[in-house]
Formats: sequence, structure tokens, C-alpha cells
Amino acid sequence: MNKTLKQAIALALCSSLAWGTASALDLKGVLKDAVNDQLGTGSKTEPTTANNDTQSNASTQDKLANINWKNPSREDEIAVGRNVTGTILGAAPLVNDAQLQQYVNKVGRWVASQSERADLPWHFGVIDSNDVNAFAAPGGYVLITKGLYLRLTSEAQLAGVLGHEIAHVVQKHHLKVMQKQALLDAGTSFLKEKISKNKLTQRAVSTGAEISARNLDKSAEFEADSMGTVLAARAGYEAYGLAEVLQDMETINNNDGSVALLFQTHPHPDDRLAQLSLVSGDQMDKISGGKTLENRLYKLK
Amino acid sequence: MIKKHILWLLTAFACSQAAAAETGVALKADQLRAESFSDAKVVGSVNKNDAVEILNKKGAWLQIKSAGKTGWVRLLTVKRNNTGGNNVAGVVGVATGRSGTGKVVSTTGIRGLSAEDLKTAQFNEAETKKLESYTVNADDAKQFASNGGLSNRTYPYFTGSAQ
Repeated sequence: MNKTLKQAIALALCSSLAWGTASALDLKGVLKDAVNDQLGTGSKTEPTTANNDTQSNASTQDKLANINWKNPSREDEIAVGRNVTGTILGAAPLVNDAQLQQYVNKVGRWVASQSERADLPWHFGVIDSNDVNAFAAPGGYVLITKGLYLRLTSEAQLAGVLGHEIAHVVQKHHLKVMQKQALLDAGTSFLKEKISKNKLTQRAVSTGAEISARNLDKSAEFEADSMGTVLAARAGYEAYGLAEVLQDMETINNNDGSVALLFQTHPHPDDRLAQLSLVSGDQMDKISGGKTLENRLYKLK
Repeated sequence: MIKKHILWLLTAFACSQAAAAETGVALKADQLRAESFSDAKVVGSVNKNDAVEILNKKGAWLQIKSAGKTGWVRLLTVKRNNTGGNNVAGVVGVATGRSGTGKVVSTTGIRGLSAEDLKTAQFNEAETKKLESYTVNADDAKQFASNGGLSNRTYPYFTGSAQ
């Protein structure tokens, strides 16, 4: 079964659609019905298997167990994102500085307010890792590492980085990858055993944290750079904040372990800047009067 | 002794030249400006695909030299040539750092937060609650923006085509 899961992940990474795989096995109709049973129209009252957890964890499990992977609701999306985020926090906790966390939430919330999903309950945090990276999870969760934060020199740069992550959430980039995986897993599992919906969801979310660190399509990263730049500009910031951060990333030695994960999961900063240049064309020049706010960037204690 | 000094000076000179010679190519036609701001005097121009030498960086601006003219352009006008020692190592490193399944199999240098760390991490309810406790509502964020002199503007998303 482990092998099946690995195959499913590999297929998801190749951006194959679940139905494409099913069709190759010539079982399209059967699988579709099975997946519909398990995901779309499955019973909402299926008991969870988490029985020795705390009350709070049990209710979280309930939420996760009833996720409609085929057509996730806003609440489903938030429940998935919360689980992914909590798992990343399990690997690296928040920096213990309440002022820093509040500051990042204010900047992030203001940039997110300029997006099409301003109504999400946005959460931002700085995690205690010397890595240079940032993460987005479905439903409005955004984390940035201390290692990246320390390289920033203005609030406009922070707004640009958060804008990139906000764009991932707005476009549901990670959620779509997880959906594909859950649907694929439902299809392939049906061939081997009858799998409960709860177990299926547990599998999908257990790899959720890894997915948030996994390489999305290159085009998703370029899109997030482009949208993130515009979101920061809409918020009143100088539009080049994210571009400046990407330029700074070019100067980090690629063999430095602090950027290992970032460079494994994102196109090279050179390519990201070139794409941003192409996509923005002369529209970037029309954005003027933005603020950089170097002095307001919160200095870590 | 003198010879040794000359040799040292020559070596130092060669090294500084190597370090300064950062090159790139113009991604689009643009004007060269005398200083690093958008209404500074125009002192020349570059055409798309012109080879440029990057002399200096300041914020979102690059000072470049192209066809004998020196001036400042926005950093998105130029793509740096990806031939520096770090970049070669990096591109190769990224290309070979994983197996066919996209799974990371090797990293070099000091190990940071890896995909494996994230895969094996356990959900932390206390930290998640802490994160949520810092949540700011839209009105407070607006007030914060206003305090910094920020006001929202309406710009469309970029519409240029990617490659």
C-alpha cells in the first residue's frame, strides 16, 4: 500500500489528473463511482478512529474526516490549512516575540485585504528556523522563517514576500495538489481494499506539510511572484519589494544549507526575476509613489 | 622582494577584476538614468538583448554599462548571466539534488529545514493556537497601514505573457 501511495504522489507531481490515470486502467466509470461514494456523497456521520486524543484533537479529526475532497468548502480548506500549518510548526515553532508576530500579522493582513479573498481569517507567523523560506497553506495560513525575515531591509520587501504566499492561497495552488492526491489515492485504494473516508483524509493531510514544501508547478511560482508584486503595490508599497528579495537570494551560495529546500522547491531567482520582468512588461513602470518603510521594519530582539 | 610585491599586486588586481565583472543581458529596451530614481536625467539607452556589465546595485536599481554608456536601470530590466561560480554549483546542485520522484535525496552544507523534517513532523496544537492568537482583523490592519502613510490603490494584475 505504501508503494501505491508513492505512485499516487509521483503521479500527482507529474500533474496528471486522477481521471487520466483511471482511464489508463480502463476502469474510469467504476473508479469514478467509488470516488464519488467516498468523497462527494459519503456519509457525514462516519465515526473517526481517533479515540485516544484530547477533546480538541478529536474535534479537529472530525473536521478533517469529513472533508469533501471533490469540492472542498471554505471550512474544509481552513481545516486542511490549519493541519498543515500546525505540522510545520511541529518542525519549527514560532519565534518567541509577540511584537514581531503581531507586526507581521498587521502587514500581512493589510496586503491580504487587497486580494480577492480578503474575507479569509488570515494568519501570519515567523518560525524559528535559520532557513531562508516561506510557506503558504490553504485557508489563509502563511509562515516565514526567521532566516528570511533577517535578510529583509524594508516593510515593502516583507509585503512582497507575504504577497507571494497570499497569492498561493488565493489561487488555491496547494489545495489543488492535495485534492489531486486525495482523489488519486481514493481511486487506487479502491482497487486494493475498501478504505474508509476518514482514513483517506488522514493520509492526504499527513503528507500535507510536505506538500506545502514541495515544488508546485513552476508556473504557479511565477504567478505568485506576479500577483504578490501587484498585491503589495495595491497596499501602497513600493512595487519592487519582492524583486529586491529575489535579487538578494541570488547572492546566497546555492550550496548553503539554509536555501536547500527553497531552491529545491522553487525556480532559480534569476528565472523568477526574468519571468516577473516579462509578465509585468511596462505595467511596473506605471506603479509609482509606493512606500518602502525601511524604518518601520520590526527589528528582531 | 619587489618582484614578490608586484606579483601580489597583479594577483590582487586580477581577483578584483574577476569579482567586478558581473555581466547580464537586457530583457527589454530601457533608458539609462544618471541616478537611481525614475525622474533622473536620461543619459543613454539599452536595446533588448544588449550585453551589459553590472557595476553597482542600490535598492531596486542596477548601475550598468552597455556599449560604452553607463547609467542606472530598474533591476527587472537586466537578467544576470548565470555563469558565476555559485550559480553554476547551484543550478547543478538543484538539478541533481533529487531523484526522479521529486524526493530530495541529498543536500550539501549545513542542513536546514528539509522536506523530510516536514514530512515526519507532528502537529503542534499549542503553537497553532499561539499563531491564531496573533491574528489581526482587517480594520486594525487598515489603521496600521494608515499610520505608516499607506493607502490602497487599484492596479490590475500583470497581463504580459510568460515564457
